[in-house]
Amino acid sequence: MRVEISYKFILGFIIVVGSIVLLNQLVPHLGIPEAWQQLVSIGCAILVGLLLGWAFSKAFTANIRHLSEAAERLSLGDLSKAIRLRGSAFPDETSDLASSLNRVVESLRDLVGTIRTSANKVAEAAQGLSATSQEMTASSHEVSSTVEQISRGAETQAEMVERSSRLIREMAVSVELIAGAAKKVVAAANETARTAQGGGETARVTTEKLRHILVEVENNGRQIVSFGLQVQKIGKIVDVITGVAQKTNLLALNATIEAARAGEYGRGFAVVAEEIRKLADSTSESAGEITSLIEAIREQGGEVQVSMKQTMVEMDAGRTALDSTVTAFDQIIETAANTQTKATSIAELSQKQTQGAGKMVEAIDEISKVVADNAVATEEVSAATQQQTASMEEMAHSAQDLSALADQLLDAVRRFQLGSERG
Amino acid sequence: MDLTLTFRLGEELYGLEVADVQEIVEAPDFDYIPLAPAGYLGAINFHGTILPVLDLAGYLGLESSQRDRRVIVLPAATCPLGLGVTAVGRILPLEREKLLPYLQNREGEAYIREVFNHQGDMINMLDLARLLASLETH
Repeated sequence: MRVEISYKFILGFIIVVGSIVLLNQLVPHLGIPEAWQQLVSIGCAILVGLLLGWAFSKAFTANIRHLSEAAERLSLGDLSKAIRLRGSAFPDETSDLASSLNRVVESLRDLVGTIRTSANKVAEAAQGLSATSQEMTASSHEVSSTVEQISRGAETQAEMVERSSRLIREMAVSVELIAGAAKKVVAAANETARTAQGGGETARVTTEKLRHILVEVENNGRQIVSFGLQVQKIGKIVDVITGVAQKTNLLALNATIEAARAGEYGRGFAVVAEEIRKLADSTSESAGEITSLIEAIREQGGEVQVSMKQTMVEMDAGRTALDSTVTAFDQIIETAANTQTKATSIAELSQKQTQGAGKMVEAIDEISKVVADNAVATEEVSAATQQQTASMEEMAHSAQDLSALADQLLDAVRRFQLGSERG
Repeated sequence: MDLTLTFRLGEELYGLEVADVQEIVEAPDFDYIPLAPAGYLGAINFHGTILPVLDLAGYLGLESSQRDRRVIVLPAATCPLGLGVTAVGRILPLEREKLLPYLQNREGEAYIREVFNHQGDMINMLDLARLLASLETH
């Protein structure tokens, strides 16, 4: 049962008054003299009042001391012990105060625990942040160096692009030269084809003439053969004449012999026979001359035939050579036509190549622009990276500051002792 | 005036008096004579008579590579014989004053009676009688 202090005082006063009243009633019955009765009553009443006041004030003082000690501990940061007042049948405001103080301690405990946990977490986070920001700084350094490499690469790229552009322009010039040369080749091939056609025509006409000549030579050969046959016939006739002359000679000899046998009568006949013999001899001589002439003619005819055959063989060879010349001219014409076609297609291709080279130059110019843009962008990236690196370093500093702050906070809450249950 | 028929035996020039010649005939081929003595070319048909032909050059031991188609036929009264020679020549008048005696140093070898100098050519006149006698003995 809760009794406020003021009520306790009133109750004490009532108890004292009551005891006086009760004593006044009681004492006459004790047999104590009348003179002493008043004294005993007052003494007893004072004793009761003293006893009651001592007990009450002792309890109150003890409670107040407990409270002040607890407040002292609290001021020292000791939150490990709860305030416990002596148990009382009649709790009063000190109990309230104690419980309020206990609540304060509890709240402080919670607060300090929370602060410690948070500060630890902050310290950990700050350390992690510091490590991360260091890593990020390292990374951004790497990024920075990479960006520098990219920048250098972009410079090289720009040079290469420039060189490519120049080379392609030179190539375009060369291709134009090729196109010009191909056109000249086309003209030359035309000229060659025309000349070869003329040559082929001439060779064909020559072949035709040669064929005619060959036919005539063959005819001549046949004529010579028939001439030889005629001469052989003459030879046979001459043989006959020779035979006749020999027979005549023989007859003349025999006639002379017969005339000699006839003696004087045969003398005139002998003269005739002698004349006949002379005639036969001269006939025989002439026939011999004719025979030798025929022989010479035959020999010469044979030589002519041989040389004609040789001529025919040579002419045949010449005809073959001319035929192969015609073939060669045809091949030259074909080759010239092929050359013309190829050179024409080369010229066309060269024009296409020239166009392609122009487009390539345009494309490379675009590439060059892109490369320049890239270089600018790379520089921007480099600047941004440097800024980022600076920010990162700042952030690392801040994280370190934060860490220090967390440490300070921990230091600040360290003097609070929370006992074993909190740490 | 006497006449002489000239003919060649090998390189030698011979002569025979026309009085000792019956005829000159052409004989391209000879018929074979069975059991004929050596020196005979064969036989010819002379106006229906079989006539043996003597290889005169061979008989006289003279080298002769060729033979005239014509054969000198002797009169049947003298001897029925043909003479094969290297070449029949011509008929010349025989001038007696130009006949030179032939020196017979070896008996019965050359059958030359005398030598007739005709314009520088030496013509050996054939000793027909001795030749025929020699043929008889063989």
